[in-house]
Amino acid sequence: MTLQRIQQSALVAGSGELWQDGTQADFLSAIEAGMLPDESFHRWLVQDYAFAKGLAEFQAIAIAKTPRPAQKVLIAGLMALDSELDWFEQKAGQYKLDLHVPNHPTCRRYVDFLIASAYTQPFDVLLPILFGVEAAYLGGWSSLTPSGPYAEYIERWSNPQFVQYVTDLMDICDSKPKDLQQHYFNEVMRHERDFWRMTMASDN
Amino acid sequence: MLHASLWQSNADLARCILEHPFVRGLSDGSLNRDAFRRYVAQDAFFLRAFVKAYALAAAKCDDFDRAKVFHGLMTGVFEEIELHESYAASLGIELEDVDPFAATLAYTDFLQRVAWHRSLSETIAAMVPCMRVYHFLGVELTAQLHPAHPYESWIQTYASDEFKQLSDRLESLLDEVSAEEARNRNTRSLDPAIEDVYRYAMRCEFDFFSAPFQDDF
Repeated sequence: MTLQRIQQSALVAGSGELWQDGTQADFLSAIEAGMLPDESFHRWLVQDYAFAKGLAEFQAIAIAKTPRPAQKVLIAGLMALDSELDWFEQKAGQYKLDLHVPNHPTCRRYVDFLIASAYTQPFDVLLPILFGVEAAYLGGWSSLTPSGPYAEYIERWSNPQFVQYVTDLMDICDSKPKDLQQHYFNEVMRHERDFWRMTMASDN
Repeated sequence: MLHASLWQSNADLARCILEHPFVRGLSDGSLNRDAFRRYVAQDAFFLRAFVKAYALAAAKCDDFDRAKVFHGLMTGVFEEIELHESYAASLGIELEDVDPFAATLAYTDFLQRVAWHRSLSETIAAMVPCMRVYHFLGVELTAQLHPAHPYESWIQTYASDEFKQLSDRLESLLDEVSAEEARNRNTRSLDPAIEDVYRYAMRCEFDFFSAPFQDDF
């Protein structure tokens, strides 16, 4: 029910087809089918870790700008993100992946966008950005059936706790987004679309 | 000197930029006028971010003499913006509400992230390629000038001694500040982040010249 609320939120509705672009991807279809090439999976894992590190920096700056009580949602989110970074590091160890490789240009552009926005935009624009990042992830992964070799990953980003976090983020955003808030939410969807495409591209 | 070794190690990208179809068009005067209009509008958008990066660099200086140097460099950008405004008037384009291309946003987001979030040396390293590449292009393209060349003014601006002085000043600051920061870290080795942002800025320059063609291809 709450996932439906998220998908019917003003920001998602206002993004039009960009929401589909940011939440549907060949990568996700291949995950569900259990047919993802190892190369793509490893690239995604390494680059998503790099992205999550950038997101942690974004959230730290956003926390400093956001007044209470909305700040509590962001602080809890940053703590969860810290655990997620640990989880990525453990996964990378399991697959013997080097997490210190340079960011792919697509990942780099996304992180540059987040950090530049964190410093230059007010908190009421940063909240729709963070909601966009997490809602896109929830929307993408929760459309998959949690089975097959990647069931753990699907469950990780579609479970009730994650739905609740994204709902909390939605609830601290303005219910009637201003143009600038919608603009930045839409930019997030473009970056999400590009990020998914990067995981499957052959030019990496 | 650091600035010379960075330029040398990125000579491949400098060559790619010189041979870019947009730059070749500027050089022989064959560049599509609409592509030049789009470029001027995007560059005006970019320069607003560039001037802010200088302001942020100045804010990182404890040494007021150094802050004054950044102030002088900012003045140079304001003059460049005025030049764009004069182009805009003659080309019939509006610079106030520019819709940035993806390549422009990638460059300005990068510049702003580094200027707000990273060290002074990284900030300067992210800015040097813009100055150095433009002076390089100005000098290289001067040899191609001929009577009634449509882009003579653009070429001469960046080939000029005034622009060279601004570029040289920024490169000197890069040498000074990176050496100081290395001393503060008790090391003589170069921070790899400096090489990384310099090369990335060179790539951004190349992509910036590709973007104005996006509607033609």
